[in-house]
Amino acid sequence: MDTKETVLNILADLVGTDDVKTNLDQPLFTSGLLDSMATVQMLLELQQQLGIDVPVSEFNREEWETPNKIIAKVDSLRNE
Amino acid sequence: MSYKLTNLIQAIDHQAKDNRASCYWDDQGHHPYQDLYQQSSCLAAYLQTLNLPKKSPIIIYGDQSFLMIVTMLAVVKAGYAYIPVDADSPQERLIQIQQIAQPAAIIGVVELPLTLSLPTITRMDLQEHLDYQTTAWDTSQSVQGEDNFYIIFTSGTTGVPKGVQISHDNLLSYVNWMLNDFNLPAKVRCLSQPPYSFDLSVMDLYPTLVLGGELVALSHAVTANFAQLFQVLPTYDLEEWVSTPSFVELCLLDKNFQQKNYPRLHHFLFCGEELTHTTATNLLQRFPEAQIFNTYGPTEACVAVTAIQITNVLLKQYSRLPIGYAKADTKIWLVDDKQQSATAGEIMISGPSVSKGYLHNPQKTQQAFFQAQDQWTYRSGDLATMNADGLIFYRGRTDFQVKLHGFRIELEDIDQNLSALPQVDQAITVPRYDANHKVVQLIAYVVLNQPLTNASAVLKKELAATVMEYMVPQRIEIRSQLPQTANGKIDRKALMAEVNQHD
Repeated sequence: MDTKETVLNILADLVGTDDVKTNLDQPLFTSGLLDSMATVQMLLELQQQLGIDVPVSEFNREEWETPNKIIAKVDSLRNE
Repeated sequence: MSYKLTNLIQAIDHQAKDNRASCYWDDQGHHPYQDLYQQSSCLAAYLQTLNLPKKSPIIIYGDQSFLMIVTMLAVVKAGYAYIPVDADSPQERLIQIQQIAQPAAIIGVVELPLTLSLPTITRMDLQEHLDYQTTAWDTSQSVQGEDNFYIIFTSGTTGVPKGVQISHDNLLSYVNWMLNDFNLPAKVRCLSQPPYSFDLSVMDLYPTLVLGGELVALSHAVTANFAQLFQVLPTYDLEEWVSTPSFVELCLLDKNFQQKNYPRLHHFLFCGEELTHTTATNLLQRFPEAQIFNTYGPTEACVAVTAIQITNVLLKQYSRLPIGYAKADTKIWLVDDKQQSATAGEIMISGPSVSKGYLHNPQKTQQAFFQAQDQWTYRSGDLATMNADGLIFYRGRTDFQVKLHGFRIELEDIDQNLSALPQVDQAITVPRYDANHKVVQLIAYVVLNQPLTNASAVLKKELAATVMEYMVPQRIEIRSQLPQTANGKIDRKALMAEVNQHD
């Protein structure tokens, strides 16, 4: 499974709809799809499934707002 | 030193009067004890001039602020129990609580979202009477003994919340235990993170005030903004941490959350949901100098009734952590299916911290409380096993109550509120667990009675208008039909098995 697929599966599971897999630019936080506890869950899943450590103290919702932005963020963290 | 407080209001006043040390730190700055004393006394005097019906509670609608605790203290000083309602609650919940509680008045520490037909004290009224000097408050009327001190509303299976009545003496028993059994230092600086409508907040609030310590308020907004959260947390110079295990798990995501950056943080107290072995191990590695306590208790027995310190020895000994031993003044025993005393079964709790029951709800009170050998006893619905020396291990529920991030939820409560939506024919809610027996998500399965586009989002939004945010399932799945049991009920267990296949 590549990064994109893994991220989208995690998001679909947390949000409860497969829409996130087709509409990659939909906002997740401002729309209320992801609340703060779900965000924690997402970061934990990314850590466990992809082995990336998100610097949570620098976590900025705007940079993680859509599925596309999350995929880009995860890619950049994996390449560090 | 052994604490045997006999009057909580006097104990706080004794600490607060003429004391310039700070008792509370919020976004307005540090607030000295003498302000808590002065303002709560003035406000109590004002409340007593209003001639509100005696013995009726007062709703306090508010947030994590100094004015909130001034108001809570003023209400009990004036002789009324308070019902804390968090400012993040939907309007519908405020209306439901008002209908059940039949309160004497409502106080808006923050602006009230609606007008209710009962005496209303606004934020502006409050501020005008914080230095009300003409009348001294009548201390003989203050809440004491068996009088209700606070009433906290919790999820009910019929879709309507239940108000748990906690008396002055219930709370006193709890606070004395906290002061005696947790090695808390005098003048402790303690995090105040859970909302005051959640009884976990009592664990930080009253012990800290009696010890002359300082509460550091962490608002909902800061908690939700991770960048800000991890920026401010190390600046608080905390000594004591009270939270759900879920909240500390969030904090452990930050690599800097460790002893080096929190040099005085030596106490962690957890309650509200299961503390997992993984979390405790991780935390003890990060904070090797800290004492970590796991506690357990239903709101009906006043915050917590068992505790144990989680040490490295204990972590080696048990793969699933115990919830501890009963506090000294409380008797806990287990009963099996045949209502016989057993080493595995449902937890029964009797002792001075057990609530008299649910406000204006004799039916639910009778179902959950009873006399056992002349002792008022609460039937918890929690399953456990007990060692020969009285050490207790949590093992689940007898019913469909779950804890999600520490919040107590009756799954039937969500079912009822979902089914009440006009587009919904049938609804059933199930928890999804992780490998550590923790609920990570709620999933509702819904049968619609009409076509509905974007159904999940629409139903979530409508549900959020009637129930607390934490009760809105993360996932709502639309089905054409739901599985049924042999006697025609919706088969929740079948759906639970379906979503928890890793078990």
